[in-house]
Amino acid sequence: MTVLPRFKSAILATALLASTATFAMAKDVTISVWAGGTGPTNDYRIEAIKMAADVVERQAKIRGEDLTIKIEGQTWTGWDDFKQAVTLAAESGKAPNIIVSGHEDIGPWSQSGLLRPIEDYVDFDAWPLNQLYPNLIDVSSYDGRIWGIPQDAEARPFFFSKSHLKAIGYSDADIEALPAKVESGEYTLYSMLDDARKMQDAKVVDPGKGFMPRPNNGTDYWQFYQSFGGEMIDAESGKLVLDRQALTGMYQFFVDAVEKGVVPATYLGTTWDTWHQAVAGDKAGIWHGGTWHKAEWEAKWGLKDFFGQMQYSLIPAGNEKGRANTITHPLVYLLSTGGSDEDATLAAELITTASEPYINALHAVKSGHLAIGSAEASIPFYANDRWTSAATEGLLPKANAIPNNSDFGVVWKAMYKGLEASWTKTNSVADAVKAVETEVRNALGDKIVIR
Amino acid sequence: MRASSPYRANLLGLAFMTPAMVLLLGFFFLPVVLTSVFAFTNMSTATGISGGSYVVTGNLLRSLTDEGLDAKTIDALGQSSYVIDQAGLEKARAAGVDAKFIAEIAERLKDRSFTSSSAFERELKTLPSRPTRIRDLKIAAGAFEQSVLNVRYASRGEMEAALSHMLENPPEGAIEKIATASYTGWTWTTDNFKNLAIAPDTWRIIGNTVFYVVLTLAFNVFVGLFLAITTFYLPPAGSGFFSVLWLLPRITPVVLYAVMWKWFTWEDGFVFNIAQDLGLPAFNYMKGSVASAWTVVILVNGFVGASFGMILFSGALKAILVQQLWASEVDGASRWQQIRYIILPQMRWPILFVTSYQTLSLLSSYEQIWLTTNGGPGSTTTIWALEAFKTALNNYTGNLQYGLGAAMALVLVAVGLVLSIVYLRLFRFDEMMSKPKIEF
Repeated sequence: MTVLPRFKSAILATALLASTATFAMAKDVTISVWAGGTGPTNDYRIEAIKMAADVVERQAKIRGEDLTIKIEGQTWTGWDDFKQAVTLAAESGKAPNIIVSGHEDIGPWSQSGLLRPIEDYVDFDAWPLNQLYPNLIDVSSYDGRIWGIPQDAEARPFFFSKSHLKAIGYSDADIEALPAKVESGEYTLYSMLDDARKMQDAKVVDPGKGFMPRPNNGTDYWQFYQSFGGEMIDAESGKLVLDRQALTGMYQFFVDAVEKGVVPATYLGTTWDTWHQAVAGDKAGIWHGGTWHKAEWEAKWGLKDFFGQMQYSLIPAGNEKGRANTITHPLVYLLSTGGSDEDATLAAELITTASEPYINALHAVKSGHLAIGSAEASIPFYANDRWTSAATEGLLPKANAIPNNSDFGVVWKAMYKGLEASWTKTNSVADAVKAVETEVRNALGDKIVIR
Repeated sequence: MRASSPYRANLLGLAFMTPAMVLLLGFFFLPVVLTSVFAFTNMSTATGISGGSYVVTGNLLRSLTDEGLDAKTIDALGQSSYVIDQAGLEKARAAGVDAKFIAEIAERLKDRSFTSSSAFERELKTLPSRPTRIRDLKIAAGAFEQSVLNVRYASRGEMEAALSHMLENPPEGAIEKIATASYTGWTWTTDNFKNLAIAPDTWRIIGNTVFYVVLTLAFNVFVGLFLAITTFYLPPAGSGFFSVLWLLPRITPVVLYAVMWKWFTWEDGFVFNIAQDLGLPAFNYMKGSVASAWTVVILVNGFVGASFGMILFSGALKAILVQQLWASEVDGASRWQQIRYIILPQMRWPILFVTSYQTLSLLSSYEQIWLTTNGGPGSTTTIWALEAFKTALNNYTGNLQYGLGAAMALVLVAVGLVLSIVYLRLFRFDEMMSKPKIEF
C-alpha cells in the first residue's frame, strides 16, 4: 500500500518541478521608450523598437527561451514638455529604459548620471553598428565615451518657391543654378532679402511673407550664426565659444529683414500650422526648414509636387566671414540608468536590432530623415527615394552638428533670448549681444571663450 | 456652574487649528523652505537634484590643465589600461563572470596588458568560452581595467582611494583638488542672486511684471466693483443671470478658457473676421503685435479676476443694511451719492482683500500667459513668474536651472510678503480686526 502513494508523490513532485522549470524559462520584460519631437510621420522611432522586440523574441525562441517583450512607447510632439518629463522622471527614479532625444542632451544627462554609456552594452565592431557613419558616432559621443546610437540624421535646408522666383525674373536655368551660387557664397542672405522683397513688390506673396523663418526656437538659428562666421566650439580647447561679431551679424540680419518688411517684428511665436500652411500652400517666398518637413507637407498640408514647387539649398552665407551651411541634429537612442542592468542589456539589444538598415530605412523614408549608415544608404528602398538620396548626397556631407556640452543649453537659451529681444526691437542689436555676453559670462565663467 | 479651565480651552483651540496648521506647513512653509534651499544652489539638469558622484572625465582633465595641475599627474589620470593580473581575475569572479571563461583568460592572457578596451575585447572574442552576449564580455573586460578615467565613484572617499592608487607621489593637495573638481552634483552658491541683479533682462521682466499686475489688478477691482454694484441695483432675476455669465471665465477649465481665447483672437478667428469685414487690420491679435498681445493677456486674466471680485463684492453689498439706502433715498440722494457715501466706505475690507489677494495671485500666476501668448511675441509679454517657471522647469533646450529658477521664485515670495505688510498697513487691517467699541 505504500508503493502507490510514493509513486504518486514522485509523479506529483516531477510535475511540480517541471512546471517550475517552465515558469523559470518564461520571461516577461517590459521596456519603456520615450521619444520627443515625434509626430505621426516619425512613428518608426518607437515602431522600430517594437519590430526589434519581435526579432529578439524569435531569436530567444530559437535558443529555447520563452521571452516576451512588451514595449511601452510614449511620444511628445514638442521638446519642452518631453525634456521636462524625462528629467523629472529620472530624478524620481522612474526614467524610461530607452530615451529618444537630441544628441545635445548627452552632455547634461550624462553628467547627472541619467544615462548609461551605451558602449558598455553594445558592440560597435559588429553588424549593424559597424556600418554607422563615423561622424554620427562622434555626435553621439561625449567626453570620450559613446553614449547613444544615432536614430536618424537630417539637414536643414533653405527653400525657395519656384513659381515666385519665376515671377521676379528667374529662368529655369537660374533656379537650377541657385544652390551652387548659395554654396559658393555668391548668393548671400542679403541677396535673399532682396528677392523676398521683390516677390512682395510683385504681389505674388503677401507683405510679411517674403521670408518665413522657423517660427520658434530651434537648432536652425545656429545656422545663421554660422552664416556670419560664428563657431560654437573651439576645436583646440574643446571649450564653448561665443562670437560677438557673428552674433551681431545674425541679429542685425533679422532686424534688417524686418526693416525690409519681408518678415514682421512680431513673427517669433507664430504657430507651426500657420507656417506649414503658408510654405506648403505656396503662399511664402523663401523659408528654411528641415528635410523631414517634406513628408509632413505631403502627409498633412496637401503638397503634391515637391520638386516642381520648391528649390532647396544650403543656408546662404551672411557675409564674407561666414559660410553657406546646414546643421544636422541627429536624434539618438539613449539608455537610461533606470531599471536593472539586465533590462538595460535587453534595451541595448533592441536598439542595436532597430539600427538594422532595413528597419531604420523605414523611418528615414517615411519621415524624410537621412540614413544613419552606409549600408542603409544603399538599400534600394532608400536609395531610390529621390529626396532622401538627394539630401544625403547634396546636403549631409556639408552638415555639422551643435556641440555636446553640458553647458551648451545656457548659451543656446541666451542666444535665443537675445534674438527675440532684437527681432521684436525690445533691445537694440548691440544691447542684445551685450546681454547674451553678460549672461553666459556670469553663468559659465572661463568655461566659455568670448571672442 | 464650574468655570472652564483656560488651559483646556487653549488645547481645544489648538485641536481646531491643527488641520489648518498642517495644510499651512505642507503647502506653504515647506515649499518656501525648499525654494529657499534650492535658491542657494547651482542645481540644474546637469548636476541633478539628489546629489552627484565623482568622475574624472576628459573635459575635467582639460580644465585641470588650465588650472595648472602638473602634466605628469594629468597624464597618469588620462591613462587607461587593461592588465590581466590576479586582482583582475578575482574581480571578474566577483562580478559573476563564467568560471570557464576566467580560466581561459588566466591561461592565455595572464600578465598581458592592453591599452584600449577595443583591443582587449577583440582578444577576448577569440577565446572559445566567450559569452554570447556582448554585455557579459564587457563586464569581464571591465574587471581588468586599471583607470580612474570615466569611472563613476559614489563617494569622495572612493574617488580619493582610487586616485591614491593610480598616482605615484602626487603633488601636495592634488588628490583633494581633483576629487573636489570631479564632483558632478550641485554646490551651495549665492551666484543666482548676483546674476539676477546684474542681468540686463531682469529689469525688463520686472517692468513687464509691474505693468501686467497693475493693469490687470485695476481691471479686476474696478470691473468687479462695477459688476457687483450694477447687479446689486438690478432686479434679482437679471442680476442672477449676469452674475452667472460673468462667472464663466472662472469656472471654465483654464486650458479650455485659453483655447477659447485662441479661437477668438487668432487668424480666421472671431475678431479677425469682424475686423476684416470692417476693413480694419486683421491679424493674429494674440501674437501679432505687442500692444494687442498685452491687451489679450490683461483681458484673459482680468476677466477671471473680475468675476472673483464680483462674487466677493456682491456678498459684501448684501451685508449693507438696506435701511441705510432707504433713508438716503428719503434724503434725496442720487445713486452715485449712495455709492460714494454709503456703499464704498463699507466695502473697505472686501476691497482690501481682493486687492491684496489678487496682487499676490497675479504675481505668481503664469498659466494663462503660458497657454496664450507664451510670453511672446518674442519675450515681450514675459513676466517674472513665467520666466521662473521656464528657467526652472520648462524650456526648449531642456536646460532646467532649478537653482536659478528657485532664486527667482524666492524673490516673488519676498515681494509678496512685503506687499502683504504694505496692504495691511494701508488699509488699517488692525483697526478692522479690533473689538467693536460697543458691546452687543
